[in-house]
Amino acid sequence: MARVLLKDVTKRFGNVVAVNRLNLEVKDGEFMVLLGPSGCGKSTTLRMIAGLETPTEGEIWIGDQLVNEIDPTKRNVAMVFQSYALYPHMTVFGNIEFPLRMAGVPKGERIKRVKEVAEFLGIAELLNRKPSELSGGQQQRVALARALVREPEVFLLDEPLSNLDAKIRTQMRFELKKLLSYDLGITTIYVTHDQVEAMTMADRIAVMDRGVLQQVGTPEEIFYRPANTFVATFVGSPPMNLIEGDIVESDERVIFEGGEFSIELPKAIELRGRFILGFRPQHVEVSTEPREGFVPGKLLGVEKLGVENYGHVAYGDSEIILRLPEGMETARGEVYWRPRADRMYLFDPRSGKLVYG
Amino acid sequence: MTPKERERLIRRIWLLITYAVLITFAIVYLMPFIRSLVASFMTWAQASKYPPEWIPNPFTLENYQKLFRLELFPRWIRNTALYAGLIVAGNVMFTSMAGYAFARLKFPGRDVIFSALLSLLMIPMFVTLVPNYIIMYKLGLVDNIYGLALLGLVNVSSIFLMRQYFTSLSNEIFEAARLDGCGPIKAFFYIALPLAKPALGAVAVYQFLGSWNAFIGPLIFLRSPENFTLPVGLSFAFQRSMWTEYTPIIAGSLVASAPTILLFLVLNKYLIRGIVITGGKG
Repeated sequence: MARVLLKDVTKRFGNVVAVNRLNLEVKDGEFMVLLGPSGCGKSTTLRMIAGLETPTEGEIWIGDQLVNEIDPTKRNVAMVFQSYALYPHMTVFGNIEFPLRMAGVPKGERIKRVKEVAEFLGIAELLNRKPSELSGGQQQRVALARALVREPEVFLLDEPLSNLDAKIRTQMRFELKKLLSYDLGITTIYVTHDQVEAMTMADRIAVMDRGVLQQVGTPEEIFYRPANTFVATFVGSPPMNLIEGDIVESDERVIFEGGEFSIELPKAIELRGRFILGFRPQHVEVSTEPREGFVPGKLLGVEKLGVENYGHVAYGDSEIILRLPEGMETARGEVYWRPRADRMYLFDPRSGKLVYG
Repeated sequence: MTPKERERLIRRIWLLITYAVLITFAIVYLMPFIRSLVASFMTWAQASKYPPEWIPNPFTLENYQKLFRLELFPRWIRNTALYAGLIVAGNVMFTSMAGYAFARLKFPGRDVIFSALLSLLMIPMFVTLVPNYIIMYKLGLVDNIYGLALLGLVNVSSIFLMRQYFTSLSNEIFEAARLDGCGPIKAFFYIALPLAKPALGAVAVYQFLGSWNAFIGPLIFLRSPENFTLPVGLSFAFQRSMWTEYTPIIAGSLVASAPTILLFLVLNKYLIRGIVITGGKG
């Protein structure tokens, strides 16, 4: 087991800065998810920790060792690739055994360890098959077994679930978390662009965008206290509603003037001037009848997801998404809504940083 | 006629046309071979008649007998096999390494060297023939089957084929191998080479065909009859001062082509795959 520490790590490919001055600590035994859209530098970061890329600047520490110059083989990290990268010409046994064979482990010991890890992952009956004869989920397990058999200190996973179909993905999500965090307690760094995966699996999430770390925190912190508008809209589904407007005072009340509508804010807010108001679709009170302080709106359409229904309401060019109460009558197309006062966020319009919430 | 029947009829007509065209071309291409086969059982007098005759009359095995009466015939077969074996072994060994290096390793000047190598493909063999001869002569390797094989141990098109094959393999497999403890050399032997079997098969077959049938090279670099390969030996044995006795040569060519035909029957899967490999990813 080991912690992983990234100090001011920068990676440039020619003129492109893939990762920009990244500072991140992954604690011993922690399940850290690197989350971000494609091209945000999360995979590059993972590959630098694995040793497949060398950082242009900065230091990478695994345990008490500076590993910048250390060969990937000697870092004692294991990685599961998006395509699983199983060796097609070897059997499942050969695949799992391979890292041990390369490390010069004696044959008897190798057989014992391969069998152990195969039992553990429930693939013992597949050992004589070739990877091409396995289903996606089975290949995934073989890739995991191959990584685990070396007993690595750090476990790296690069979008390991994205090649699976939706049903197996949900199941594997939980299995992976259980295996790595609860059963093994191994330091894990997991790269994904899927915020649901991040929220459900992570001890902590590091959100990245365009090579820059945006926020690190527990899933709750990321969800309830997003550091900026990027995190606010990237995490959570549907994304947080953001409206730019002015905060003014009138009749001892604090009002947010959003152009097409105005919303009363809690009196405690002392900010005045131009801001971005944010609130999640789930944190809205919705009514079919006009009520004091509620904003009227016309429903453009309703996304029905079973228990949860999301209504889209347009104001000029911008669209607001609201979670509608279960069983609400939407045929008339008129709704009245108000964001919950305790779940409102204000962001600086220039920097996008959270200033209230 | 229902539309379905019409469709079936049209499909049948197309099939007929396709077969007709294919059979015509097959006959055109097969004609020389059939002619050789028939002529190998004719006397020279009959074989050289015009218009050509297709039934051997009298039927004779004289041509084959002449062939096997040649004292050096087994020796030429051995020479040819040795030459082809060396070329195939050399190409499989060296071009797989070179192709791997060009495809998977990073070293300064890699792309420049590769382009330079490729440009060699554009240079006709006759341009390098004389310089090669001079080099071989100075090395004392003229009239030596090993010397001749040395010239063909590595072939640019084989390197190209191997490189294309290795670049087509997934990057992640090699990265996984690296994390599993493979340096570039181990990755070559444990991962790249076993995965390259189809490409290696294609290289081996092409090189075997090329070297087994090679004529110009052996003709120029070999001098003593006991060192000849089969194609050179045959034309040497039946060349008289004023004319050439073609029927034994034809018989000899048929005997000589037997291994290549056999090889094709056994390995045509690889051959076709090799063409797919070279033609597929550019």
